[in-house]
Order: sequence, then structure tokens, then C-alpha cells
Amino acid sequence: MEKAILSVRNLKTYFFTQRGTIKAVDGIDFDLLPSECLCLVGESGCGKTVTALSILGLIDSPPGRIVAGEVVYHDVNLLKSSREQVRQIRGKEIAMIFQDAQSALNPVLTIGDQIAEQIKLHLKFSRREAKERTVSLLKEVGIPSPAEAADYYPHQLSGGMKQRAMIAMSLSCDPQILIADEPTTAVDVTIKAQILDIFRRLKETRQMSLLFITHELGVVSEIGDRMVVMYAGRLAETATVAELLGNPRHPYTVGLINCLPDMTQGNDRLQSIPGTVPSLIEPTNGCLFHPRCDKALAICRRQKEPSVLVNQGHSVFCHLYSPAETSQPC
Amino acid sequence: MTNWLASINYITGKVGGIRKLILILMAALLGVTILLDVLVVEKIFDPLGYLYIALGTLAVLYGIYPLYTSRRLVGYYWERASQNRLAVAGLAFILFLILLALIGPFFTTDPTATNFEEKNIPPLGFTIEESVYHPETQQSISKTITGSGKHPLGTDNKGRDLLAMIVSGARISLQVGLLATGIAVALGTLIGVTSAYLGGKIDNILMRFTDIMMTFPFFLLLVFIVFIFGPNLAFIVLVIGLTGWTGTARLVRSETLSLRTREFIMAAKALGASDSRIILAHLVPNVISLIIVIATLSIPGVILAEAGLSFIGLGDPSVTSWGMVLRAGQQNLDTAWWVAVAPGVMLFLTVLAFNFMGDGLRDAFDPRSAV
Amino acid sequence: MPMKKNWLRDYIIKRLFFALIVALGILTVTFILVRIGPTSPADKYLANIAARGQDVSQAVAAIEARYGLDKPLYEQYINYVANLGRGDWGWSFSTSMPVIELIKTHWIYSFQLIFLSSILGALVGILIGILSAVRQYSKTDYIATFFSFIGISIPNFWLGVMLILLFSVKLGLFKTYYDSGIPIFSLDNLRQLTLPVITITTGMLAGYTRYTRSAMLDNLRKEFVRTARAKGLPERTVIGKHVFRNAVLPLITIIMFDLGSIVFAGAYFTEIVFGIPGLGRISFNAIFADDYAVVVTVTLISAFLILMINLITDITYTYLDPRIRYD
Repeated sequence: MEKAILSVRNLKTYFFTQRGTIKAVDGIDFDLLPSECLCLVGESGCGKTVTALSILGLIDSPPGRIVAGEVVYHDVNLLKSSREQVRQIRGKEIAMIFQDAQSALNPVLTIGDQIAEQIKLHLKFSRREAKERTVSLLKEVGIPSPAEAADYYPHQLSGGMKQRAMIAMSLSCDPQILIADEPTTAVDVTIKAQILDIFRRLKETRQMSLLFITHELGVVSEIGDRMVVMYAGRLAETATVAELLGNPRHPYTVGLINCLPDMTQGNDRLQSIPGTVPSLIEPTNGCLFHPRCDKALAICRRQKEPSVLVNQGHSVFCHLYSPAETSQPC
Repeated sequence: MTNWLASINYITGKVGGIRKLILILMAALLGVTILLDVLVVEKIFDPLGYLYIALGTLAVLYGIYPLYTSRRLVGYYWERASQNRLAVAGLAFILFLILLALIGPFFTTDPTATNFEEKNIPPLGFTIEESVYHPETQQSISKTITGSGKHPLGTDNKGRDLLAMIVSGARISLQVGLLATGIAVALGTLIGVTSAYLGGKIDNILMRFTDIMMTFPFFLLLVFIVFIFGPNLAFIVLVIGLTGWTGTARLVRSETLSLRTREFIMAAKALGASDSRIILAHLVPNVISLIIVIATLSIPGVILAEAGLSFIGLGDPSVTSWGMVLRAGQQNLDTAWWVAVAPGVMLFLTVLAFNFMGDGLRDAFDPRSAV
Repeated sequence: MPMKKNWLRDYIIKRLFFALIVALGILTVTFILVRIGPTSPADKYLANIAARGQDVSQAVAAIEARYGLDKPLYEQYINYVANLGRGDWGWSFSTSMPVIELIKTHWIYSFQLIFLSSILGALVGILIGILSAVRQYSKTDYIATFFSFIGISIPNFWLGVMLILLFSVKLGLFKTYYDSGIPIFSLDNLRQLTLPVITITTGMLAGYTRYTRSAMLDNLRKEFVRTARAKGLPERTVIGKHVFRNAVLPLITIIMFDLGSIVFAGAYFTEIVFGIPGLGRISFNAIFADDYAVVVTVTLISAFLILMINLITDITYTYLDPRIRYD
């Protein structure tokens, strides 16, 4: 197996509030391989964004804090590095795209300003060089008349254009890793296809690893190589996209896939997973999914789910597949 | 008996609620009393008395009564506000001040009584050297004066008791603060809500008028008006109230604008409620928390404005206010420093207390600060 | 965008027009107030002249000619506006000179005071405010917040008196009174302005600290700040460029809004307490001499200054905030 460019090990990010400790991310592991697109999938509030922010050291503290784990990038543990070291990596080697470009762009600075700023900072370009690069980046993401668009303020661009500008901004220093946090959620369906196209093209043209965060399995199947399914701050299942969509093991993943409207079979009702996402405050000893799981065993309530390798590169975090498990259904 | 109730019900139904009925009755009553006061007998109430009655009615109908009906919510806010120790300290000081103003005068001497035998006595615990000029010997003799329990805060250069003056000043400051703020906030709320609710031309005219009012430097306008019309406490209160509503109007307007399109206003409209009913029964109660905060935070400015007027000599000469005492103290800084210190400390603490309380209330009402 | 230029021009014209209406409003209000006042300026003037044992009948004729009191009200009003426009601001009998001359010799004293304290107050206040917001809930923040509460609560005129009591009367470090014999542009003048400047600046500084803090806090948790950090920008740039640029706009509005109440009223009291012969002081003196023309003029000057500063702010705003241009 190839050596990972980014390894996340036992990452735990908690938020300490007056109402208790929220375990937003509670011990997750995954590897990002060179030039692959890894999709991080789960319902909203399951800790996908917090994971991404933790990697870049952008968790607001207080109330948040990374309490344990490692984020290893090129043999360096980012969580143990100095703030200055991490800052040098941010934007230059690991860039991030946020979900809502409307609020992620600074309203009082021009698009060009916001992109060039980063180029001047990390690549030590002159003003003019930075401007040229900005224009060519805007062109690369398909913004019409890029030279003019660079002088626009965010509110002068449409939602789709803003998201493109955001992508151009993240690409400005040729990062090794691009983290995209639901880049297609806040835009229209038609724009969504165009944005996905840009990502697909980037995958082909650039030697870059992509960590793609989304809650839509349709998007995953279009651009993902491997995927990680998260539930309530923990991992549920991880495998290649083809393997996982074709042969899901975890009851949660199965549920997610069943929720998709199946056009070929003509089912007239959409399915859903019963119950709601658990509160992340109350401590539970067992598997967090067991209250909603139709296959739950007695042990699920008492003991944390184990990691089980069910296939080459396919792990599932569930008691059902534990070889030692012989308990009765509860 | 049933006839009675039925007719009351009928009338309240006609005017739109018992609250409005009381409001109309009170307005009529006040109007009649004022007419009687002016035309037939003199001095049924003094002008401040009228203000108290009018604002008291408004406060009960639109402040205390709604708060009473939503006790649980008030309890919740109180719990949140009481976590702010500075706000609680502010409240404690204000309560102390109210007590001082209400019962203080019974325990102190007349603040205007001069006694040149006992002039420039320092506060209890202080001793000063004063050189006294004797006309017979034509020499200055150094004399030691020690503060005594008779005048705990000392006396001024006319021998007036400083404690008595402070107590009297507390009364004046609180009266001005509460009454003028009451007028300003009531007026500002009415203008703000009306402007936002009716919108269009009326909104435009009212807001442009507000802009013009705001262009005037508030204190200089006050000085100007009091200079022209002469200093009288009730008049000063009225002027502060009538010029100080602009900030309230703007804030209330923007709050109302966000309420205007909410479902419950739409529902009231759909049910055929009149504009005045929607404004008074639906919109005003919903901006009440904002109004309470504005009122609390406006009081310091109003108190300072009155004190400032008195300090520059435009205060009502018939009452003893803190600003006036401070003015007297400033002129005798080298012989009796305490006369300038005491009223200023009181003024400062009062303003600070209202600011602390207002800030605490704002945080308590602010849903964003709830974690 | 070709629309931009036209839009901006229209906006400025609209603003200017509105300023003109406000200016007329101000003139009208002062005119009405003086007219409906219980005693007319002429009465007070005459009483003063009579008290000094001078010839009243001559004065009466002079006044009637000047104010045109025998003419209809609208003509008086037009006269009033026209005279003000011509720079004929009336006669100050207490100082025996035209009001405009009085203003010309005294404005500089107010200006130096307001200028020095505004710069000091804004610079220090904004700096502390930023620091306080960036370190929200830290010890620095608590101390800054506490002192800003004290600063906004301390009555300006009392603070001045206390500073004189402490530094001039007890410690003898400064003179108790402002000496207008000292040239304005001298170190000695700067020295004697120390206490007055502290007096005005305290309230201003506290106010600006609070406003800056809350404006910064409003923007610090916005998403674009996270973007700026994700770009690897140093914290200095994130705060100084991205957050402050957004905070500065509401800040300017609030500061302008408070100009009349904090700066002008503050200067008024400070001049009175320290005996600085600025506009506040001459208005104060005029009040006791019943010198109407001076009181009216000083009030008008401050109102017009605020109007003008508001206008300038409004127009600069359109250049500073890209969003409002297309609203």
C-alpha cells in the first residue's frame, strides 16, 4: 500500500460548553493517499467539518479543544507543531474550501485581493506577478472575463461564481492537499454539476490529494476513490467507493444507501433511518448507533464497537462482524 | 350587576381591550384635572405630579402588567441577569439610592438652611487648618476645624449640611432620570413602532424628522432651550424627554421592522385587527425587553444632562441638586474640597450603577449570549 | 460596471439636498425657539442697557432696525437666514463686538482641545478595543471593560474638577487656570492642556474602547475570518486587515453619532472647568450676560459642524463600503 500523505490517528476534538462536553469528534482514524479523492460522508452534525478544521488547527478555542490524537502530514505531527509551522502549511500545502462561499469570502475586499494576498504571502510573488496568477487561476475555474472579475467584490458575483472564486483561492499556491467542505451544498443543482466538473478536472490535471466532505452519496459515487462513513463523531465504515456502495456492511451505511431514491426499481416511497442523531453530550458506553439500529445486539449497548477488517481495505466498526460475537439479538 | 358587566364588556370591545379603556379614561381624567388646574383652582398637582401619574399609568399598563403575566419568562431573565455580579451590585445601589431619596429627607436637616457659624466643616474624621482673619487685631489666626457627627459629610462655605444636600440631590437626580427617560422612551417607542409599522411616506417623514433632531448636539440644544425659557425642574424634565427620544425611536423602529413580517402580526391583520390595536397590543409588548434595556441605559445620560445644566448654572434654583452642589464646591476647591467630591462621587456611582444594570439586562435579554 | 459613477453622483446629490433641508430645519427651530421664548432678545438687551444707565430709546431704535421686529414674521425669518448666510451673526453686547469676530478669535481654543483629544481618544480607544476583543474573556479584557465602564460613567465636569483638586491645588503640578497668553503652538500650551485633554479623552476613550470591542466581536466569529486563517495568514493580518476592515464601518457611524454628545458636550464642560476661552466658554459667559446672539451662534455652529461631518462621513462611506453602493 502506498504511503499516506496525511494520516489522522485517534483524533478527538471536544467542545466544552456550559451544558457539558460535546464529543464532536471522538477517536477517528483515516489515511489520505497521494493523488486520491477521499470522501468523508455522514449526516450533518456528525463531525465531518470539525475533523477538517482539526486537521488545519482552526478549531475555535474556547470552547473547542483537540484532546487527543495525531495528524501526521509528511512525517510531521501537525498537532505537536508550533502555531507558526502550521500557519506556513495552511493555504500553501493544505488548502480548504468552505461550504458557504457567500459568508466565507470577506465582503469588503475584492476577489482579486483575497486571492493575491495568499500568493504574495506564501510564494513571495510581487504585486504584478500575483495579479497575473490570480487572473489565470480565475480562468482555470471557469470564471468569464477573469481580469475584470478580480476587481469585483463578493456581493457582485453570483453564488456559483463565488464558489469558483473560493476554489481558485484554495488552488492559488498549488497545495498538496485540498480539503473541500461540502462545496456543492449551498449552490443550485445546475451549478452543482458545474462545480463537480471543476473538481473532476482538477483531479486529472493536478497532482493533488482531495479530502471531499459531503453528505450526498451521489456526489461520492461521481468523484470519490475511497470513502469514510462517520456517525456521531466516530467512524462507521471505510472502503473504496465501489466496494462500499456495492457491498455495505454497517447497518448505518446500509440505511444511508437505502435512503437514496432508486430510479431503476420504481420504489414509490423514500426510506429513512428511524430515530434521530444522538446527543453528543450524554456518555454512552456502547455503540452510538444502537438505538437506531434494527440489528442491534445486547452487547451493542454495553461495549464500544470494534474495528473489523471484512475485506481488503474495507473496515467496519460494528459488533455484528466481530468474530467473537455470539450474543443474542436484544 | 350583570348589566354592568355586559356594558363594560361592550365598551371594552368597542375600544379594543380593557387596557385601552383604562388608558383612555386616565387620559380623560388627566385632561380634566389639568383644565381644572389651569382654569378653576390652582395647584391640584404640580407639573411633576402630572408626569408621575401619566408615566405611572403607562408603565403599569405596558410595563408591569405584561411582565406580571409572563412571570416565568421574567424569572428566567432574572436568573440570567443575576449571574452578572456587577449588574446586581448596580441594582443594589439603585435601590439604596431610591431609599435614600424616599426616606432620607426625614432624617436630615433642611439642605438650604445656611449657618455661617458652622461653615466649611470637613467630613467626619477629617481635620483642616483654616486661617481666620480678625478685623480687630488685623491678623490671621490659624484655626483647626474637626469634622463631627452633627455634619457627617461636613458643610459648605455657607454652613449648609452636605449630607442633606446629597439626599436632596438624590431625589432630584432620580426624579429627572426616571421621568425624563419615561417621556423619551414612551415617545421614542411610539414613533419607532408607528414608523416601522406604517412604513412608506409616514416612515420617511418621521425618520427624516428624527435625523434632523439627531443633528442637534443634544446637550447644547438643552442649554439653548433652558437658557431661553428659564430653568424650572418640570420644564427641564419635559425638554430632556421631548428631545431625547431619537435613539429609542431608531432602535425600536429597526426591531419592529423585523417583527412586522412575522406570522403573529400577519395573523392579527388577517383577523381584522386595527392598526392601533396591532401596534399597542402586539408590537409594543414584543419590543418591551429592548425598551427596558434602552430605558436603563438612557437614565445615566439624562441624570448627567440635568447635573451638567445645574453645574453650569442653568439648574432650577429652587431645588438642591448634585450639579449645583458640585458647582459651589468647584468655586471653593482650596478651602472645602469635600463639597466638590461628595456630589461627584454620588453622581458617578449612580451613573455607573445604571450602566452596569443596563449592560447586565442587555446580556440577559440577548438570545445570542445564551450558551 | 458603468452604473457605478452615475449612482454615486445621484447619491451625493441626494445627500447634499437632504443636508440642505436639515440645515433649514435647524435654522427654523432656533428661530421659532427664540421667538416663542418668554422674553425676547431685545428685552434682555434693553434691560442690560438700562441697568448700565445708558440711553434705552436709542437702543430700541437700533434693535428694531436690526431685527426688523416691526416687520411680518416671515420677513423676519428670511432676514434671519440671510444675515446668517452673509456672515452677519449679530452683535455681542457683552463683549461689544460682532459675534463673528468673537468666534474668529476663540474657535482655535476649542479646536486645539477637540483635535488633540479626538486623536488620542480614537487611537488609544480603538487599540484597546481591538486587544480586548481579540482576547475576549481574558484578564486584559476584563480590566479594559471595567475601566471603560468607569470612563463612560464618570461625569466629565467632575473629573475635571477632581484633576484640578489633585494635580493643581494639592500637588501644584499645573496651574489651576488656563493661560490664554501662552502662544497656541508652544510646549507650554501643550503642558497646560494636559489636564483638559485627559478630562475629555477619558469618556471618549472609554466609549471608543467599548464600541471597537463590540464591533470587532461581531466580526471575529464570522466565517471569512476562518477562511483568512485557513489561507495561512498571520494573525496580525487576519485581525488588522480582515476583521478590522469590517468592524471599522459601523464603528465610524457610532463615533459620528456620538460626536455631539461626547466630544462637543465634553469640550463645553472642559472649557468651563479649566477656563479655556473656547466657544463653550464664551457661550457659558454669554448665558450669564444674557447675550443672545452668542448663545444662538454657538449652538448653530455646533449643529452645522455635526451636519457637515455627518455628510462627509456618509459620502466617504460609499467609498469605504462596497456593499452599499448597489443597494
